[in-house]
Amino acid sequence: MFERRSRQRPGDRVPAAERPIAVVPEPARADPAVGRLYDLLHEVIDPEIGINIIDLGLVFDVTLIDRLATVQMTLTTPGCPLSGYMDSAIRHALTRLPEIDDTRVDLVWDPPWGPHQMTEEAKRQLGWVP
Amino acid sequence: MIAPAAGYSANAPAAIGLTPPRRRRARWVPPLMAAAVVLLLGGLWEGLVYLGLPLAAGQHSLHVDHGPLMVLGFLGTLIALERAVALGPAWAYLAPAAAAVGGLAVAGNAPNGVGQTVITLGGLVLVAIFVAVHRIQASTHNVVLTAGAICWVVAGALWIANWGVPRFIPWLAGVLVLTIAGERLELSRLTGRSRRAGILFLAAAGLFSVGLIVSLFTEASGVRVAGVGLCCLAAWLARYDVTRRTVHSTGVTRYMALALLAGYAWLAVGGVLWIDIGRMSFTDLGRAAHGSAYDAMLHAIFLGFVISMIFAHAPVIVPAVLGRSLPFTRLFYLPLVMLHVTLLLRLVGGDALGNKASWQWGGALNEVALLLFIGLAATSVLRASRSQRAAGGRAHRAQNSSPPAR
Repeated sequence: MFERRSRQRPGDRVPAAERPIAVVPEPARADPAVGRLYDLLHEVIDPEIGINIIDLGLVFDVTLIDRLATVQMTLTTPGCPLSGYMDSAIRHALTRLPEIDDTRVDLVWDPPWGPHQMTEEAKRQLGWVP
Repeated sequence: MIAPAAGYSANAPAAIGLTPPRRRRARWVPPLMAAAVVLLLGGLWEGLVYLGLPLAAGQHSLHVDHGPLMVLGFLGTLIALERAVALGPAWAYLAPAAAAVGGLAVAGNAPNGVGQTVITLGGLVLVAIFVAVHRIQASTHNVVLTAGAICWVVAGALWIANWGVPRFIPWLAGVLVLTIAGERLELSRLTGRSRRAGILFLAAAGLFSVGLIVSLFTEASGVRVAGVGLCCLAAWLARYDVTRRTVHSTGVTRYMALALLAGYAWLAVGGVLWIDIGRMSFTDLGRAAHGSAYDAMLHAIFLGFVISMIFAHAPVIVPAVLGRSLPFTRLFYLPLVMLHVTLLLRLVGGDALGNKASWQWGGALNEVALLLFIGLAATSVLRASRSQRAAGGRAHRAQNSSPPAR
């Protein structure tokens, strides 16, 4: 499947106000280009929730090989019709980088998404904590 | 209990999976959407006839089957299309195609229950879609959505068996109520709801479902039990749905939350009416029966709850289904407010107080609100498409005019 260690975990993040750019998982820090991809993915918002797909914990991994950015992600449920929308929104966001020619979204269902995968910032926005 | 079974998908057959977004059948969507719009326009016309406006009635079936055509024909096509797009394989599109073709056949007075049968088969395909989703990832909310699709099949079977529409219309409400409630149950996980909240939801949905089953044998008891279930579901949605949090957001997210919360209020109104009146079979059906309890019991749910939900979800679902962006503007509040105000006029001024002019104006303006919303949405989609083409053209010209790389 994929490297679970590369997934963003709630504890990896710091409050938005304290970070100049998005916090990215440890493996991505080694590659500045991948780090920029994570930054741009913060702009892909789930329109119903109003929160970006990184903070929702939907993105498991991002790779950049031969100018193709591959985003391995899940949705809150396989019956969600937003996969096409996410595909377009991710392509629109990432192809703004000159080093990206195209994007690919790999949807995976194992492990299933759960609210524990959301970041503290997302939980704060959804009223989990005051 | 509510959360999907961890690790389930690891054991699922490899053949089951979503079709990648870019390999889905984008060309199949416009004709199905067009068929849904035709069914909607037919239903709206007959709605005006029911309101007593001096218009020519359409085909006999179009008039008598106004309810099932609007729910299983028009909304059934949209609901099944949304699910087919989500899953992706060709066979899934049989569900919206059957709803659309069957609906058009009924509207055209096709003989021998052909249209009703085709629509019912569409419901069976929708059940199969949810089974496929369940095999990818099992979840409680998917079971609730499946229950909504089963209501479709039951309603279709009763329609084929020549039951009167008022006798099976609770099952038509079941299709929409359980479908919407199942979707909201899924999103309520984002609020970190408790296990107790999940149990309360199942109790409410279970009570509503039991009421539907009882209504087959004892109408008064069944409708009242289902009404209690509707009230419980409305209370649950108002308490646990994510809209309570997202209503504090901005833009399209806030608009969606407000539309949904208004819909939950109408769901509660519908539930109270079902409990109070307790029957759907009235002798004055088929005439312009202003002040009709039947009118209020149904349109509180079908217009107040369901159409408000459609207004809410269109900015998300239209891009997902059509593959074209639908930019949100504050103008979308106009048809939304109009829908709810004119529904108040219809149900309070018309149905409760018996003022025929209020009832007719309210009903006609309900339709204007719906058409206004469709017009706004279509205009926004076309404008956004033109902007994207123009931007693409500019980028192409800029690329061609730039000096070649050495």
